[in-house]
Amino acid sequence: MNRWLQVQGLYKREVARFLKVPLQTVGAPIVNSILYLLIFGVSLGHSIRLENNIPYLAFLIPGLIAMSLIKNAFDNSTSAIMGQKYVNELQDLRVTPFSLQQLCAAKTLSSLTRGLFVGLITYCVGQTFYYFQMGHFLPIANPLVLIYFLIFGGLAFGNLGIAIGMWSKSFEHVGAVSMLILLPLIYLGGVFFSLEGMHSFWQSTSHFNPLFFIINGIRYGMLGSTDIHLGIAGVVTFAFFLVCYILALFSLRNGPRYMR
Amino acid sequence: MTPLVIKNLTKKYGRLVAAERVSFEIHPGEVFGLLGPNGAGKTTIISNIVTLQSFSEGSIKVFGIDVQKNPRLAKAHIGFVPQELIHHGFFTVEEILKYHATYFGIPLDKEHLKYLLDKLHLYHHRKKLVNQLSGGMKRRLLIIKALLHKPKLLLLDEPTAGVDVELRASLWKFIQELKKENLSILLTTHYLEEAELLCDRIGILDHGRLRKVDTTEKMLQEYSSKKVSVTLCSPLGKIDHPLLTAQSDHLLDFQVPNEMPLSQLFQEASIPMNCIQDINIKMGTLEDVMQTILRGEE
Repeated sequence: MNRWLQVQGLYKREVARFLKVPLQTVGAPIVNSILYLLIFGVSLGHSIRLENNIPYLAFLIPGLIAMSLIKNAFDNSTSAIMGQKYVNELQDLRVTPFSLQQLCAAKTLSSLTRGLFVGLITYCVGQTFYYFQMGHFLPIANPLVLIYFLIFGGLAFGNLGIAIGMWSKSFEHVGAVSMLILLPLIYLGGVFFSLEGMHSFWQSTSHFNPLFFIINGIRYGMLGSTDIHLGIAGVVTFAFFLVCYILALFSLRNGPRYMR
Repeated sequence: MTPLVIKNLTKKYGRLVAAERVSFEIHPGEVFGLLGPNGAGKTTIISNIVTLQSFSEGSIKVFGIDVQKNPRLAKAHIGFVPQELIHHGFFTVEEILKYHATYFGIPLDKEHLKYLLDKLHLYHHRKKLVNQLSGGMKRRLLIIKALLHKPKLLLLDEPTAGVDVELRASLWKFIQELKKENLSILLTTHYLEEAELLCDRIGILDHGRLRKVDTTEKMLQEYSSKKVSVTLCSPLGKIDHPLLTAQSDHLLDFQVPNEMPLSQLFQEASIPMNCIQDINIKMGTLEDVMQTILRGEE
Protein backbone atom coordinates (compact mmCIF):
# COMPACT_ATOMS: atom_id res chain seq x y z
CA MET A 1 0.00 0.00 0.00
CA ASN A 2 1.63 3.22 -1.20
CA ARG A 3 0.73 5.92 1.31
CA TRP A 4 1.93 8.74 -0.91
CA LEU A 5 -0.27 7.53 -3.76
CA GLN A 6 -3.28 7.66 -1.43
CA VAL A 7 -2.61 11.27 -0.38
CA GLN A 8 -1.83 12.26 -3.97
CA GLY A 9 -5.07 10.70 -5.25
CA LEU A 10 -7.27 12.41 -2.68
CA TYR A 11 -5.42 15.71 -3.14
CA LYS A 12 -5.95 15.61 -6.91
CA ARG A 13 -9.59 14.80 -6.45
CA GLU A 14 -10.13 17.66 -3.99
CA VAL A 15 -8.38 20.13 -6.33
CA ALA A 16 -10.44 18.83 -9.27
CA ARG A 17 -13.55 19.37 -7.15
CA PHE A 18 -13.00 23.08 -6.69
CA LEU A 19 -11.87 23.52 -10.29
CA LYS A 20 -15.17 22.00 -11.44
CA VAL A 21 -17.03 25.02 -10.05
CA PRO A 22 -14.68 27.85 -11.04
CA LEU A 23 -17.26 30.63 -10.85
CA GLN A 24 -18.05 29.84 -7.24
CA THR A 25 -14.58 28.98 -6.01
CA VAL A 26 -12.37 31.30 -8.05
CA GLY A 27 -14.56 33.78 -9.93
CA ALA A 28 -16.41 35.20 -6.94
CA PRO A 29 -13.26 35.85 -4.87
CA ILE A 30 -11.65 37.63 -7.82
CA VAL A 31 -14.65 39.94 -8.21
CA ASN A 32 -14.45 40.61 -4.45
CA SER A 33 -10.78 41.52 -4.69
CA ILE A 34 -11.38 43.85 -7.63
CA LEU A 35 -14.18 45.61 -5.76
CA TYR A 36 -12.06 46.04 -2.62
CA LEU A 37 -9.17 47.42 -4.68
CA LEU A 38 -11.46 49.78 -6.57
CA ILE A 39 -13.33 51.09 -3.54
CA PHE A 40 -10.67 51.11 -0.84
CA GLY A 41 -7.45 51.15 -2.83
CA VAL A 42 -8.25 53.55 -5.64
CA SER A 43 -11.23 55.66 -4.55
CA LEU A 44 -10.64 56.06 -0.81
CA GLY A 45 -6.94 55.28 -0.81
CA HIS A 46 -5.92 58.82 -1.84
CA SER A 47 -7.30 60.28 1.37
CA ILE A 48 -5.60 57.76 3.67
CA ARG A 49 -2.12 58.65 4.87
CA LEU A 50 -0.01 55.99 6.54
CA GLU A 51 2.73 56.92 8.99
CA ASN A 52 5.61 55.30 7.10
CA ASN A 53 4.62 56.91 3.79
CA ILE A 54 3.59 53.64 2.17
CA PRO A 55 0.86 54.18 -0.45
CA TYR A 56 -2.42 52.84 0.87
CA LEU A 57 -2.82 50.63 -2.21
CA ALA A 58 0.52 48.94 -1.39
CA PHE A 59 -0.67 48.45 2.19
CA LEU A 60 -4.00 47.01 1.01
CA ILE A 61 -2.69 44.45 -1.52
CA PRO A 62 -0.99 42.08 0.98
CA GLY A 63 -4.03 42.41 3.27
CA LEU A 64 -6.32 41.31 0.46
CA ILE A 65 -3.98 38.45 -0.47
CA ALA A 66 -4.07 37.29 3.16
CA MET A 67 -7.85 37.57 3.26
CA SER A 68 -8.23 35.59 0.00
CA LEU A 69 -5.87 32.92 1.25
CA ILE A 70 -7.51 32.49 4.65
CA LYS A 71 -11.11 32.68 3.44
CA ASN A 72 -10.61 30.29 0.53
CA ALA A 73 -8.54 27.74 2.45
CA PHE A 74 -11.23 27.68 5.14
CA ASP A 75 -14.16 27.58 2.71
CA ASN A 76 -12.57 24.81 0.67
CA SER A 77 -12.26 22.48 3.63
CA THR A 78 -15.69 23.21 5.09
CA SER A 79 -17.53 22.94 1.77
CA ALA A 80 -15.70 19.70 0.89
CA ILE A 81 -16.53 18.04 4.21
CA MET A 82 -20.13 19.30 4.33
CA GLY A 83 -20.79 18.33 0.72
CA GLN A 84 -19.32 14.89 1.27
CA LYS A 85 -21.49 14.42 4.33
CA TYR A 86 -24.63 15.23 2.37
CA VAL A 87 -24.02 12.87 -0.56
CA ASN A 88 -22.54 10.02 1.51
CA GLU A 89 -19.08 10.53 0.02
CA LEU A 90 -17.58 10.77 3.48
CA GLN A 91 -18.48 7.13 4.00
CA ASP A 92 -16.42 6.32 0.92
CA LEU A 93 -13.36 7.68 2.63
CA ARG A 94 -14.17 6.11 5.96
CA VAL A 95 -14.09 2.60 4.54
CA THR A 96 -10.81 3.09 2.68
CA PRO A 97 -7.42 2.54 4.35
CA PHE A 98 -6.61 6.20 5.01
CA SER A 99 -5.03 7.29 8.25
CA LEU A 100 -6.33 10.50 9.83
CA GLN A 101 -3.00 12.19 9.12
CA GLN A 102 -3.23 11.27 5.44
CA LEU A 103 -6.77 12.61 5.20
CA CYS A 104 -5.78 15.82 6.91
CA ALA A 105 -2.75 16.21 4.67
CA ALA A 106 -4.65 15.68 1.40
CA LYS A 107 -7.59 17.87 2.32
CA THR A 108 -5.50 20.65 3.84
CA LEU A 109 -3.05 20.75 0.95
CA SER A 110 -5.94 21.07 -1.50
CA SER A 111 -7.34 23.93 0.61
CA LEU A 112 -3.93 25.58 0.64
CA THR A 113 -3.80 25.17 -3.14
CA ARG A 114 -7.11 26.95 -3.55
CA GLY A 115 -6.07 29.66 -1.09
CA LEU A 116 -2.76 30.23 -2.89
CA PHE A 117 -4.48 30.12 -6.28
CA VAL A 118 -6.98 32.84 -5.35
CA GLY A 119 -4.24 34.72 -3.47
CA LEU A 120 -2.09 34.69 -6.60
CA ILE A 121 -4.94 36.04 -8.71
CA THR A 122 -5.53 38.75 -6.08
CA TYR A 123 -1.83 39.56 -6.26
CA CYS A 124 -1.97 39.85 -10.07
CA VAL A 125 -5.09 42.03 -9.98
CA GLY A 126 -3.51 44.15 -7.24
CA GLN A 127 -0.30 44.57 -9.23
CA THR A 128 -2.33 45.70 -12.25
CA PHE A 129 -4.08 48.37 -10.16
CA TYR A 130 -0.77 49.38 -8.59
CA TYR A 131 0.95 49.69 -11.97
CA PHE A 132 -1.75 51.97 -13.35
CA GLN A 133 -1.70 54.14 -10.24
CA MET A 134 2.04 54.27 -9.50
CA GLY A 135 3.61 53.57 -12.90
CA HIS A 136 5.56 50.53 -11.67
CA PHE A 137 4.92 47.16 -10.04
CA LEU A 138 5.00 46.64 -6.28
CA PRO A 139 8.23 44.73 -5.48
CA ILE A 140 8.23 41.79 -3.03
CA ALA A 141 10.57 42.70 -0.17
CA ASN A 142 11.06 39.29 1.49
CA PRO A 143 9.89 36.36 -0.67
CA LEU A 144 10.86 33.67 1.87
CA VAL A 145 8.99 35.39 4.69
CA LEU A 146 6.01 35.80 2.39
CA ILE A 147 6.04 32.09 1.46
CA TYR A 148 6.33 31.06 5.13
CA PHE A 149 3.26 33.03 6.19
CA LEU A 150 1.27 32.08 3.11
CA ILE A 151 1.91 28.37 3.61
CA PHE A 152 1.35 28.14 7.36
CA GLY A 153 -1.56 30.60 7.26
CA GLY A 154 -3.25 28.58 4.50
CA LEU A 155 -2.56 25.24 6.17
CA ALA A 156 -3.90 26.51 9.49
CA PHE A 157 -7.20 27.61 7.98
CA GLY A 158 -7.46 24.48 5.84
CA ASN A 159 -7.24 22.44 9.04
CA LEU A 160 -9.64 24.73 10.89
CA GLY A 161 -12.11 24.26 8.02
CA ILE A 162 -11.92 20.48 8.43
CA ALA A 163 -12.71 20.76 12.14
CA ILE A 164 -15.63 23.16 11.60
CA GLY A 165 -16.93 21.03 8.71
CA MET A 166 -16.81 17.86 10.78
CA TRP A 167 -18.56 19.40 13.78
CA SER A 168 -21.17 21.39 11.84
CA LYS A 169 -24.52 19.72 11.39
CA SER A 170 -25.68 21.97 8.57
CA PHE A 171 -24.43 24.55 6.08
CA GLU A 172 -26.03 27.16 8.34
CA HIS A 173 -23.56 26.30 11.11
CA VAL A 174 -20.65 26.67 8.70
CA GLY A 175 -22.05 29.96 7.42
CA ALA A 176 -22.43 31.22 10.97
CA VAL A 177 -18.79 30.47 11.81
CA SER A 178 -17.63 32.02 8.56
CA MET A 179 -19.69 35.21 8.82
CA LEU A 180 -19.89 35.76 12.58
CA ILE A 181 -16.42 34.67 13.67
CA LEU A 182 -13.99 34.39 10.78
CA LEU A 183 -14.95 37.52 8.88
CA PRO A 184 -14.78 39.87 11.91
CA LEU A 185 -11.41 38.35 12.85
CA ILE A 186 -10.14 38.95 9.31
CA TYR A 187 -11.33 42.56 9.28
CA LEU A 188 -10.02 43.23 12.78
CA GLY A 189 -6.75 41.53 11.89
CA GLY A 190 -5.65 44.54 9.89
CA VAL A 191 -6.55 43.80 6.29
CA PHE A 192 -7.66 47.37 5.65
CA PHE A 193 -5.90 49.40 8.33
CA SER A 194 -2.74 49.75 10.34
CA LEU A 195 -2.69 49.07 14.08
CA GLU A 196 -0.83 52.34 14.68
CA GLY A 197 -3.86 54.48 14.14
CA MET A 198 -6.10 52.49 16.43
CA HIS A 199 -7.19 53.00 20.03
CA SER A 200 -4.90 51.22 22.50
CA PHE A 201 -7.76 48.88 23.52
CA TRP A 202 -8.08 47.55 19.97
CA GLN A 203 -4.31 47.42 19.65
CA SER A 204 -4.04 45.07 22.65
CA THR A 205 -7.13 43.09 21.61
CA SER A 206 -5.62 42.45 18.19
CA HIS A 207 -2.77 40.56 19.82
CA PHE A 208 -5.24 37.80 20.72
CA ASN A 209 -6.25 37.46 17.10
CA PRO A 210 -4.00 34.96 15.29
CA LEU A 211 -5.08 36.40 11.95
CA PHE A 212 -3.47 39.67 12.92
CA PHE A 213 -0.08 37.92 12.97
CA ILE A 214 -0.65 36.06 9.70
CA ILE A 215 -1.85 39.18 7.88
CA ASN A 216 1.03 41.26 9.19
CA GLY A 217 3.51 38.51 8.39
CA ILE A 218 2.31 38.47 4.79
CA ARG A 219 2.46 42.26 4.73
CA TYR A 220 6.04 42.18 5.99
CA GLY A 221 6.90 39.63 3.27
CA MET A 222 5.63 42.02 0.61
CA LEU A 223 6.47 45.46 1.97
CA GLY A 224 9.35 44.83 4.38
CA SER A 225 7.63 46.67 7.22
CA THR A 226 4.95 45.67 9.71
CA ASP A 227 3.17 46.60 12.94
CA ILE A 228 4.61 43.70 14.91
CA HIS A 229 7.76 41.76 15.69
CA LEU A 230 8.34 39.33 12.83
CA GLY A 231 9.70 36.52 15.04
CA ILE A 232 6.64 36.61 17.28
CA ALA A 233 4.38 36.60 14.23
CA GLY A 234 6.22 33.56 12.86
CA VAL A 235 5.95 31.64 16.14
CA VAL A 236 2.27 32.54 16.67
CA THR A 237 1.41 31.53 13.09
CA PHE A 238 3.15 28.17 13.45
CA ALA A 239 1.58 27.56 16.85
CA PHE A 240 -1.84 28.43 15.43
CA PHE A 241 -1.25 25.97 12.59
CA LEU A 242 -0.39 23.22 15.10
CA VAL A 243 -3.50 23.92 17.17
CA CYS A 244 -5.69 23.82 14.05
CA TYR A 245 -4.03 20.58 12.91
CA ILE A 246 -4.73 18.93 16.26
CA LEU A 247 -8.32 20.20 16.14
CA ALA A 248 -8.73 18.74 12.64
CA LEU A 249 -7.38 15.34 13.70
CA PHE A 250 -9.54 15.41 16.82
CA SER A 251 -12.67 16.28 14.81
CA LEU A 252 -12.02 13.48 12.33
CA ARG A 253 -11.63 10.99 15.15
CA ASN A 254 -14.34 12.21 17.50
CA GLY A 255 -16.67 14.40 15.44
CA PRO A 256 -20.30 13.46 14.85
CA ARG A 257 -19.35 11.41 11.78
CA TYR A 258 -16.09 10.20 13.24
CA MET A 259 -13.51 8.26 11.31
CA ARG A 260 -11.10 5.66 12.56
CA MET B 1 -6.28 -17.77 6.46
CA THR B 2 -9.97 -17.36 7.28
CA PRO B 3 -11.34 -14.26 5.51
CA LEU B 4 -13.57 -13.14 8.37
CA VAL B 5 -13.82 -14.26 11.98
CA ILE B 6 -16.23 -12.49 14.32
CA LYS B 7 -16.14 -13.52 17.97
CA ASN B 8 -18.61 -12.38 20.62
CA LEU B 9 -19.23 -9.04 18.92
CA THR B 10 -21.30 -6.75 21.12
CA LYS B 11 -22.39 -3.28 20.06
CA LYS B 12 -24.55 -1.04 22.19
CA TYR B 13 -26.17 2.32 21.44
CA GLY B 14 -26.83 3.58 24.94
CA ARG B 15 -29.22 0.99 26.36
CA LEU B 16 -30.08 -0.52 23.00
CA VAL B 17 -28.10 -3.65 22.22
CA ALA B 18 -27.67 -3.71 18.43
CA ALA B 19 -25.45 -6.80 18.41
CA GLU B 20 -25.08 -9.23 21.29
CA ARG B 21 -22.26 -11.76 21.42
CA VAL B 22 -22.43 -12.41 17.69
CA SER B 23 -19.97 -15.04 16.46
CA PHE B 24 -19.51 -16.48 13.00
CA GLU B 25 -16.86 -16.86 10.33
CA ILE B 26 -16.70 -16.84 6.58
CA HIS B 27 -14.66 -19.44 4.75
CA PRO B 28 -12.60 -18.79 1.60
CA GLY B 29 -14.76 -18.62 -1.53
CA GLU B 30 -17.98 -18.76 0.46
CA VAL B 31 -21.08 -16.57 0.21
CA PHE B 32 -22.45 -16.06 3.70
CA GLY B 33 -25.90 -14.53 4.03
CA LEU B 34 -26.84 -12.47 7.05
CA LEU B 35 -30.63 -12.40 7.22
CA GLY B 36 -33.11 -10.90 9.61
CA PRO B 37 -35.91 -8.39 9.95
CA ASN B 38 -35.33 -4.63 9.91
CA GLY B 39 -33.31 -3.55 12.93
CA ALA B 40 -31.96 -7.05 13.52
CA GLY B 41 -28.37 -5.76 13.48
CA LYS B 42 -27.17 -6.69 9.98
CA THR B 43 -25.88 -3.24 9.01
CA THR B 44 -24.45 -2.73 12.49
CA ILE B 45 -22.28 -5.82 12.06
CA ILE B 46 -21.09 -4.73 8.61
CA SER B 47 -20.41 -1.19 9.89
CA ASN B 48 -18.24 -2.66 12.62
CA ILE B 49 -16.28 -4.76 10.14
CA VAL B 50 -15.42 -1.71 8.00
CA THR B 51 -14.82 0.39 11.15
CA LEU B 52 -17.62 2.85 10.44
CA GLN B 53 -18.52 2.13 14.04
CA SER B 54 -16.52 0.88 16.95
CA PHE B 55 -17.66 -1.92 19.22
CA SER B 56 -17.22 -2.40 22.93
CA GLU B 57 -16.75 -6.16 23.21
CA GLY B 58 -15.55 -9.02 21.07
CA SER B 59 -13.23 -9.12 18.10
CA ILE B 60 -13.36 -8.97 14.32
CA LYS B 61 -10.49 -10.33 12.29
CA VAL B 62 -10.13 -9.98 8.53
CA PHE B 63 -7.56 -12.47 7.24
CA GLY B 64 -6.18 -12.60 10.77
CA ILE B 65 -5.93 -8.80 11.09
CA ASP B 66 -7.77 -7.27 14.02
CA VAL B 67 -9.91 -4.44 12.61
CA GLN B 68 -9.70 -2.42 15.81
CA LYS B 69 -5.95 -2.75 16.23
CA ASN B 70 -5.00 -2.34 12.60
CA PRO B 71 -7.97 -0.87 10.72
CA ARG B 72 -5.96 0.39 7.74
CA LEU B 73 -4.45 -2.98 6.92
CA ALA B 74 -7.75 -4.79 7.46
CA LYS B 75 -9.66 -2.34 5.23
CA ALA B 76 -7.15 -2.86 2.42
CA HIS B 77 -8.54 -6.41 2.07
CA ILE B 78 -12.20 -5.40 2.10
CA GLY B 79 -14.51 -4.26 -0.67
CA PHE B 80 -17.66 -2.65 0.68
CA VAL B 81 -20.94 -1.96 -1.11
CA PRO B 82 -23.09 0.21 1.16
CA GLN B 83 -26.87 0.36 1.25
CA GLU B 84 -27.04 4.06 0.48
CA LEU B 85 -26.28 5.42 -2.96
CA ILE B 86 -23.40 7.88 -3.30
CA HIS B 87 -23.95 10.72 -5.75
CA HIS B 88 -20.51 12.26 -6.52
CA GLY B 89 -22.07 15.39 -8.03
CA PHE B 90 -18.95 16.83 -9.63
CA PHE B 91 -17.38 13.83 -11.32
CA THR B 92 -17.88 11.42 -14.18
CA VAL B 93 -17.97 7.66 -13.65
CA GLU B 94 -14.45 7.29 -15.02
CA GLU B 95 -13.02 10.10 -12.90
CA ILE B 96 -14.53 8.81 -9.68
CA LEU B 97 -13.21 5.31 -10.31
CA LYS B 98 -9.70 6.54 -11.08
CA TYR B 99 -9.59 8.57 -7.88
CA HIS B 100 -11.12 5.76 -5.85
CA ALA B 101 -8.46 3.27 -6.94
CA THR B 102 -5.71 5.46 -5.50
CA TYR B 103 -7.38 5.50 -2.08
CA PHE B 104 -6.13 1.95 -1.60
CA GLY B 105 -2.56 2.96 -2.37
CA ILE B 106 -2.27 0.91 -5.54
CA PRO B 107 -1.87 2.11 -9.13
CA LEU B 108 -5.00 1.86 -11.23
CA ASP B 109 -5.21 -1.40 -13.20
CA LYS B 110 -6.80 -0.10 -16.41
CA GLU B 111 -7.53 -3.57 -17.75
CA HIS B 112 -9.32 -4.52 -14.56
CA LEU B 113 -11.29 -1.26 -14.63
CA LYS B 114 -12.37 -1.90 -18.22
CA TYR B 115 -13.32 -5.48 -17.32
CA LEU B 116 -15.51 -4.31 -14.44
CA LEU B 117 -17.12 -1.50 -16.45
CA ASP B 118 -17.89 -3.99 -19.22
CA LYS B 119 -19.14 -6.64 -16.87
CA LEU B 120 -21.54 -4.29 -15.11
CA HIS B 121 -22.61 -2.56 -18.31
CA LEU B 122 -21.25 0.87 -17.44
CA TYR B 123 -18.49 1.12 -20.04
CA HIS B 124 -20.62 3.20 -22.40
CA HIS B 125 -21.67 5.46 -19.53
CA ARG B 126 -18.16 6.08 -18.22
CA LYS B 127 -18.04 9.67 -19.47
CA LYS B 128 -21.35 10.58 -17.83
CA LEU B 129 -21.59 12.53 -14.59
CA VAL B 130 -22.53 10.20 -11.73
CA ASN B 131 -25.56 12.44 -11.12
CA GLN B 132 -26.88 11.58 -14.57
CA LEU B 133 -26.96 7.84 -13.85
CA SER B 134 -30.11 5.97 -12.90
CA GLY B 135 -30.43 4.39 -9.46
CA GLY B 136 -29.53 0.97 -10.86
CA MET B 137 -26.42 2.32 -12.55
CA LYS B 138 -25.32 4.07 -9.37
CA ARG B 139 -25.68 0.78 -7.53
CA ARG B 140 -23.53 -0.97 -10.14
CA LEU B 141 -20.97 1.82 -9.79
CA LEU B 142 -20.81 1.09 -6.05
CA ILE B 143 -20.00 -2.55 -6.85
CA ILE B 144 -17.24 -1.56 -9.28
CA LYS B 145 -15.75 0.77 -6.67
CA ALA B 146 -15.76 -2.03 -4.15
CA LEU B 147 -13.94 -4.38 -6.53
CA LEU B 148 -11.40 -1.95 -8.04
CA HIS B 149 -8.62 -2.83 -5.60
CA LYS B 150 -9.24 -6.58 -6.03
CA PRO B 151 -10.31 -7.28 -2.44
CA LYS B 152 -10.43 -10.80 -1.04
CA LEU B 153 -13.50 -10.13 1.09
CA LEU B 154 -16.59 -8.40 -0.30
CA LEU B 155 -19.30 -6.99 1.96
CA LEU B 156 -22.61 -6.44 0.20
CA ASP B 157 -25.13 -4.56 2.31
CA GLU B 158 -28.47 -5.05 0.53
CA PRO B 159 -26.90 -4.64 -2.92
CA THR B 160 -30.15 -5.20 -4.82
CA ALA B 161 -32.44 -3.03 -2.70
CA GLY B 162 -34.69 -0.97 -4.95
CA VAL B 163 -33.42 -2.31 -8.28
CA ASP B 164 -35.64 -3.78 -11.00
CA VAL B 165 -36.06 -7.52 -11.58
CA GLU B 166 -33.81 -7.64 -14.64
CA LEU B 167 -30.92 -5.84 -12.98
CA ARG B 168 -31.33 -7.94 -9.87
CA ALA B 169 -30.99 -11.10 -11.93
CA SER B 170 -27.87 -9.77 -13.66
CA LEU B 171 -26.33 -8.83 -10.30
CA TRP B 172 -27.04 -12.32 -8.97
CA LYS B 173 -25.26 -13.77 -11.98
CA PHE B 174 -22.31 -11.47 -11.39
CA ILE B 175 -22.09 -12.42 -7.71
CA GLN B 176 -22.07 -16.09 -8.69
CA GLU B 177 -19.17 -15.36 -11.04
CA LEU B 178 -17.28 -13.59 -8.23
CA LYS B 179 -17.80 -16.64 -6.07
CA LYS B 180 -16.20 -18.81 -8.72
CA GLU B 181 -13.15 -16.50 -8.53
CA ASN B 182 -12.80 -17.56 -4.89
CA LEU B 183 -13.91 -14.23 -3.45
CA SER B 184 -15.46 -14.50 0.01
CA ILE B 185 -18.71 -12.59 0.30
CA LEU B 186 -20.86 -11.42 3.18
CA LEU B 187 -24.33 -10.57 1.92
CA THR B 188 -27.22 -8.96 3.74
CA THR B 189 -30.57 -8.89 1.99
CA HIS B 190 -34.30 -8.82 2.49
CA TYR B 191 -34.85 -10.81 -0.71
CA LEU B 192 -34.90 -14.35 0.59
CA GLU B 193 -34.88 -15.91 -2.88
CA GLU B 194 -31.63 -13.99 -3.42
CA ALA B 195 -30.12 -15.53 -0.30
CA GLU B 196 -31.38 -18.97 -1.24
CA LEU B 197 -29.83 -18.72 -4.69
CA LEU B 198 -26.48 -17.20 -3.72
CA CYS B 199 -25.60 -18.19 -0.17
CA ASP B 200 -23.69 -21.30 0.85
CA ARG B 201 -24.38 -20.63 4.51
CA ILE B 202 -26.84 -18.43 6.30
CA GLY B 203 -26.97 -16.72 9.67
CA ILE B 204 -30.31 -15.55 11.01
CA LEU B 205 -30.22 -12.47 13.18
CA ASP B 206 -32.95 -11.14 15.40
CA HIS B 207 -32.75 -8.30 17.91
CA GLY B 208 -28.96 -8.31 17.65
CA ARG B 209 -28.60 -12.00 18.37
CA LEU B 210 -27.51 -14.65 15.91
CA ARG B 211 -30.23 -17.28 16.24
CA LYS B 212 -28.95 -19.89 13.85
CA VAL B 213 -26.02 -20.46 11.47
CA ASP B 214 -25.97 -23.35 9.02
CA THR B 215 -25.77 -24.22 5.34
CA THR B 216 -28.70 -23.05 3.26
CA GLU B 217 -29.47 -26.64 2.35
CA LYS B 218 -29.60 -27.82 5.95
CA MET B 219 -31.69 -24.83 7.02
CA LEU B 220 -34.26 -25.62 4.32
CA GLN B 221 -34.22 -29.28 5.22
CA GLU B 222 -34.56 -28.70 8.92
CA TYR B 223 -36.80 -25.65 9.20
CA SER B 224 -39.10 -25.78 6.21
CA SER B 225 -41.68 -28.20 4.87
CA LYS B 226 -43.19 -28.77 1.46
CA LYS B 227 -46.82 -28.04 0.67
CA VAL B 228 -48.45 -30.98 -1.12
CA SER B 229 -51.81 -30.41 -2.85
CA VAL B 230 -53.53 -33.60 -4.03
CA THR B 231 -56.38 -33.38 -6.56
CA LEU B 232 -58.70 -36.39 -6.32
CA CYS B 233 -60.68 -38.09 -9.11
CA SER B 234 -63.58 -38.65 -6.76
CA PRO B 235 -64.29 -37.51 -3.20
CA LEU B 236 -62.97 -39.62 -0.35
CA GLY B 237 -64.48 -39.70 3.10
CA LYS B 238 -63.12 -37.53 5.92
CA ILE B 239 -59.37 -38.03 6.20
CA ASP B 240 -57.79 -37.81 9.61
CA HIS B 241 -54.05 -37.13 9.35
CA PRO B 242 -51.90 -34.76 11.45
CA LEU B 243 -50.23 -33.24 8.36
CA LEU B 244 -53.53 -32.44 6.62
CA THR B 245 -54.14 -28.67 6.55
CA ALA B 246 -57.26 -28.44 4.34
CA GLN B 247 -59.80 -30.78 2.74
CA SER B 248 -62.56 -30.29 0.20
CA ASP B 249 -64.35 -32.80 -2.05
CA HIS B 250 -61.60 -33.02 -4.64
CA LEU B 251 -58.65 -31.36 -2.97
CA LEU B 252 -56.38 -32.26 -0.04
CA ASP B 253 -53.60 -29.97 1.26
CA PHE B 254 -50.75 -31.35 3.38
CA GLN B 255 -47.76 -29.63 5.01
CA VAL B 256 -45.14 -32.37 4.79
CA PRO B 257 -41.56 -32.54 6.16
CA ASN B 258 -39.07 -32.25 3.29
CA GLU B 259 -37.56 -35.66 3.94
CA MET B 260 -40.88 -37.56 4.04
CA PRO B 261 -41.61 -39.56 0.85
CA LEU B 262 -45.06 -38.99 -0.68
CA SER B 263 -45.71 -42.74 -0.87
CA GLN B 264 -45.48 -42.85 2.93
CA LEU B 265 -47.86 -39.91 3.24
CA PHE B 266 -50.45 -41.48 0.95
CA GLN B 267 -50.17 -44.78 2.77
CA GLU B 268 -50.56 -43.18 6.18
CA ALA B 269 -53.50 -41.05 5.02
CA SER B 270 -55.09 -44.05 3.24
CA ILE B 271 -55.27 -42.35 -0.14
CA PRO B 272 -55.42 -44.93 -2.94
CA MET B 273 -53.08 -44.12 -5.80
CA ASN B 274 -55.84 -44.70 -8.37
CA CYS B 275 -57.86 -41.86 -6.76
CA ILE B 276 -55.14 -39.31 -7.39
CA GLN B 277 -55.67 -37.13 -10.44
CA ASP B 278 -52.86 -34.62 -9.87
CA ILE B 279 -50.20 -33.71 -7.32
CA ASN B 280 -48.80 -30.24 -6.85
CA ILE B 281 -45.69 -29.82 -4.66
CA LYS B 282 -44.46 -26.47 -3.44
CA MET B 283 -41.04 -26.74 -1.79
CA GLY B 284 -40.28 -24.87 1.42
CA THR B 285 -38.41 -21.59 1.17
CA LEU B 286 -36.13 -19.51 3.35
CA GLU B 287 -39.16 -17.47 4.26
CA ASP B 288 -40.54 -20.56 6.02
CA VAL B 289 -37.16 -21.08 7.65
CA MET B 290 -37.06 -17.50 8.91
CA GLN B 291 -40.60 -17.64 10.19
CA THR B 292 -40.02 -20.96 11.92
CA ILE B 293 -36.82 -19.83 13.61
CA LEU B 294 -38.06 -16.37 14.58
CA ARG B 295 -41.42 -17.73 15.78
CA GLY B 296 -39.65 -20.44 17.71
CA GLU B 297 -37.56 -17.83 19.52
CA GLU B 298 -40.63 -15.79 20.44
